Amino acid sequence: MMTFQKSDVMKALTSIAIQKVLNDISAPAYEKVSKKLQKEYKCYIPDCYDHPEYLESVLKSIFGNAYTAIVDQIKTELAEHADDNGINLLIKTIAR
Amino acid sequence: MLSISKKNELQKLLLITIVGTGFTILVSTILGKEVVKQVTDVMYIIATATFVILSSILVLRFKKTGDHGKAALFLLGTSVSWFLAETVWTVYELVYDKNPFPSVADVFYISGYPLMLGFLMYYLKPVRKAITKKMMISAILISASIAIPSIYIAYSPEPDITLFENVLATSYPILDSIIFVPAIIGIALFFRGEVNFTWSLICIGILCFAVGDIGFQYATFTNTYYTGHPVDIILMWSYILFSFGVYDHVRIFRKSGKSNENSQLDNWR
Repeated sequence: MMTFQKSDVMKALTSIAIQKVLNDISAPAYEKVSKKLQKEYKCYIPDCYDHPEYLESVLKSIFGNAYTAIVDQIKTELAEHADDNGINLLIKTIAR
Repeated sequence: MLSISKKNELQKLLLITIVGTGFTILVSTILGKEVVKQVTDVMYIIATATFVILSSILVLRFKKTGDHGKAALFLLGTSVSWFLAETVWTVYELVYDKNPFPSVADVFYISGYPLMLGFLMYYLKPVRKAITKKMMISAILISASIAIPSIYIAYSPEPDITLFENVLATSYPILDSIIFVPAIIGIALFFRGEVNFTWSLICIGILCFAVGDIGFQYATFTNTYYTGHPVDIILMWSYILFSFGVYDHVRIFRKSGKSNENSQLDNWR
């Protein structure tokens, strides 16, 4: 039987939340953010769970001041899992 | 670094196009009103056709996904509407040798405004929570100040200007000021972001529209308007700015060589 660590599940939930919010803007917006994360930080969307500052920086560089509204939506998507330390740190970091 | 150099190239090309357009119309004016009329009409059709082509590419890229996909559809509608307006204007003027104002062309010009508003609103929808009251009030005040000169001009037309012509010519700067509200909000929202250049071009384009339409209204009311009038240079710049704005947006969100979605999942696994 396969077992999953809690952090892996949270990582997956974080990825899904980020993907949903960005896809609600547009599919190219999601692709752009993914591409920029890869290019500038050599990381992928799931890695934002461990490095939320990368996501914050990429969103700021694309959407400027409007990134706060996108961050708010990601926060809302992840609100029910805020008891997890990793997600809590992610929310605090990107919402600075 | 590559992105910055491409942006500089784009800015240079934009400057050359803007200066070139103005220069072409001014030189044509020297050659006579008939020449400048033909040159300006053809240039309007080329400018709006370019706007339609680039908007179509944007729609194909966004494929109706999310709010920005819907925004792209509205932008395509705007460009098609204004392309039809310019075509009808040219047919009236060059084929039937009739005064195109007022005409069916105005129906298409006016139709472009709600579509443009739809584009701006849908684009701002995902980030609407970042809009502050201060931002909103400032944008409304700036936009309202654009409409003031046209309302003032509306009270003093030449006697041979009909009420319908007066209302129609005055409605353009007022509609420009309405679409200017979300455009200014967009500038404030996307400040320092990559998409800010697109918004700056759209915002300046709408401002050129407003200035050009006030000029058109004044020239019409004083019976001094002819196709190729200096206000046409400013109106032409609007279409050029919109086209470059759309091109910049296509460039920012262009499809990457390989889809990285699968590789992302593979990497995570």
